[in-house]
Amino acid sequence: MALSKDELKAKILNKAMTAAKPQLYVKDFYECDPESGPRDIKNAANDLVKDGKMVFWSSGSTTMYAAVGRAKDEEHR
Amino acid sequence: MGYDPANPMLDRITDIGPPHYERFFPPVIKNNYGKWLYHEIIQPGVLMHKSETGDEVYTVRVGSARLISIEQIRELCDVADKHCDGYLRFTTRNNVEFMVDAKAKVQPLLDELKGRGNRFPVGGTGACVSNVVHTQGWIHCHTPATDASGVVKAVMDELFDYFTTMKLPAKCKMALACCLNMCGAVHASDIAILGVHRKPPMVDDETISAVCEIPLAISACPLGAVKPRKATNAAGQEIKSVSVNAERCMFCGNCYTMCPSMPLADPDGDGCAILVGGKVSNSRSMPTFSKLVIPFLPNNPPRWPEVVQAVKGILEAWAKDARKYERIGEWAERIGWEKFFEKCDIPFTIKSVDDYRLAYDTWRTTTQFKFTSHIK
Amino acid sequence: MPKHDTPMMDELEKGPWPSFVTDLKRQAVKNDQCWDILGQMELSFRDKMTHWKHGGIVGVFGYGGGIVGRYSDVPEQFPGVAHFHTVRLNQPSSKFYNTEMLRKVCDLWERRGSGMTNMHGSTGDLVLLGTRTDQLEPLFYELTHDLNWDLGGSGSNLRTPACCLGKARCEFACIDTQAVCHGLTMKYQDEIHRPAFPYKFKFKFSGCPNDCVAAIARSDFSLIGTWRDNIRINQAEVKKYVAGEYKNNAGGISESFGKFNIKKDVINLCPTRCMWMEGEELKIDDAECTRCMHCINAMPRALRPGLVKGASVMCGAKAPILDGAQMGTMIVPFVKVDPDTEFEEVVFYIEKIWDWWMEVGRNRERVGETMQRVGLPTFLKVMEIEPIPQHVKRPRENPYVFWAEEEVEGGWQRNVQEFRAKHKM
Repeated sequence: MALSKDELKAKILNKAMTAAKPQLYVKDFYECDPESGPRDIKNAANDLVKDGKMVFWSSGSTTMYAAVGRAKDEEHR
Repeated sequence: MGYDPANPMLDRITDIGPPHYERFFPPVIKNNYGKWLYHEIIQPGVLMHKSETGDEVYTVRVGSARLISIEQIRELCDVADKHCDGYLRFTTRNNVEFMVDAKAKVQPLLDELKGRGNRFPVGGTGACVSNVVHTQGWIHCHTPATDASGVVKAVMDELFDYFTTMKLPAKCKMALACCLNMCGAVHASDIAILGVHRKPPMVDDETISAVCEIPLAISACPLGAVKPRKATNAAGQEIKSVSVNAERCMFCGNCYTMCPSMPLADPDGDGCAILVGGKVSNSRSMPTFSKLVIPFLPNNPPRWPEVVQAVKGILEAWAKDARKYERIGEWAERIGWEKFFEKCDIPFTIKSVDDYRLAYDTWRTTTQFKFTSHIK
Repeated sequence: MPKHDTPMMDELEKGPWPSFVTDLKRQAVKNDQCWDILGQMELSFRDKMTHWKHGGIVGVFGYGGGIVGRYSDVPEQFPGVAHFHTVRLNQPSSKFYNTEMLRKVCDLWERRGSGMTNMHGSTGDLVLLGTRTDQLEPLFYELTHDLNWDLGGSGSNLRTPACCLGKARCEFACIDTQAVCHGLTMKYQDEIHRPAFPYKFKFKFSGCPNDCVAAIARSDFSLIGTWRDNIRINQAEVKKYVAGEYKNNAGGISESFGKFNIKKDVINLCPTRCMWMEGEELKIDDAECTRCMHCINAMPRALRPGLVKGASVMCGAKAPILDGAQMGTMIVPFVKVDPDTEFEEVVFYIEKIWDWWMEVGRNRERVGETMQRVGLPTFLKVMEIEPIPQHVKRPRENPYVFWAEEEVEGGWQRNVQEFRAKHKM
């Protein structure tokens, strides 16, 4: 059975905070719950941004996710 | 009530989308939506559309830079307020269109535009050189191999007469993309100017571990030319970096997009390639991509004379030789590309022979060819 | 910000084409940040290189699209452009405006940014060019509250959809391009504003096969209007064309190439040769017509698209980065594009493509590249689309078919001993 949204968010955030790479593609979160579909995972990750726990990092053409404080950025280096 | 920095999320509005298009239709457009019968270009830059209701709308098309100021937009608004009941539109090719609902209103509008100096060229219709669609270049982009607005200005100054008249065999759609990303859809244009790099990326060991994800930089390379490498920075620390196999580099810049510590732009390395013969319309022949005919011309600001002359040479060779309705690609296919090179006086180089993916499709596998000066 | 010495920029004030340099200078009088734009641009002209750096975390809170971060690499020299972020406003479908709204945008951008714009960006957005990070939230607040307007897409999002002007001012439009563009833009606000996909995804809608928004060359999913009955012929107008009363191509081609000649200009240029004259009447064998638009373009008063209208669905177009450019592949020859069903048929295909691509698409892989990687047969199977000859230009030329076990009589399980018993080594 797929995880609840809160459980899924906790796993995603945990991965974002502990992964070797600070910036992650949405696909990197798919493994957080093989039972949840890509859409659920995407929505949970975007929710974490709304909650202020993660940020979007964009090259302009590609968007990635990072836990607050972990992304590499001009103004936050 | 305005924005409150202390409470930025108060009354937040999101996901409301753009304003509905119908609000911006002038009455003659709204009343005749879906009822148009036919159109006619009554003079270069002026279109008449006839509706089944008997209504007519006259459109005056004006060339514009893509990069424009709000002062310029306000001036466009002044013209629209005075002549077009406060409506105007923009085309996908950066032109401005002023619409009026009677023929008698056309000349006063044209006079108004003319009276404002030569900043509102009327044209861009029918068998003309259309306005150039282009990308940002040095005004805003972080990965360009050439400028955009400057090159376009130089080219359009030279081809101005072809924008304001309709004397070509068919339309010629031009585009410029300032790097191989081609965010300007250059790849299916009659004549395309494309910024290209020719030096492989450098690797900045001092910054790479701070600003780059090494695995992303490695996987960004389509040809596997970027490999992990251990390095020592100036402070004597061992760091994870990358190496670039220059022999395999195709200068796409995709690694730099993902990793700012791999810059490849260079004043001598960068320049413009010219591609021709693409089209998107399904009219007569199928949509086709543009083909690379000049692999490199130098960046020579402010006026890029080599690029301007190359574009003009191709345009005029086609204009002289093509049949009515024949786009540049259709002309080149009919006469054969060997003739294209001869008639345009462009030296054929090995760079025009494809050695990337699906290359075989472009190799000649017939005994049908023409004896041109290329055969010694 | 002081004025800089810009001899190379100044050179681009000459010549007949509208000069962005003159325009920048005019704007600089009101907003001196523009002197630094000119200054940095002059430096790039001298150095033959850009002086902009990558983006980053910049955006408005909760959105993963609509803002592209940009920083100068020479901020001490040009502090006015130290931050120079772009803001993409989702353009109204087909880019009609009234001056009241445009002036409001100008006023907003005068307060919150450089005053420079792109009308428009390549994808279609109204682009506001150059502002500081601290201006983004107030700008977004005013944009949404005072102008009731929203941002477009960037990054791994659905990019701002775009369309041709369609029924608003074109007699060729076979579908209501504005309605479908606006309708789907509203339906997919979440996908436009927050990343959802392995990479960018673009929608474009053209009303007819002339394809004025270049949908077939650059959009991951496009609708191109077409019809499935007969071209409507007005024989009285045909006669007037033949009599030389009307100009070439609606006046678009000079008479120096010869006066309109129905045989040379229309019948002989028809790619399927399905037209002929019978006496004074023009005949078309519509079953042979591939709806290329040439004859209709050439004589719009006499010929019109048919009445049973819809669109072809094309999928997977993209620019060359990285595996080479791809045109859209025809996936569904004819769908109804019906606002009354909220574009049900179109939505069905879009979401089917997305569900599959989100699952199997690799990072930074456009859907056209995923299609190439798995092959069109697999894609069609996933999409549950019956293969038809219209899906290919010609049948395959190699024999290497990936047969499935269940397709082969007796399956694949065999006994090599039995084989050996009959066939000695």
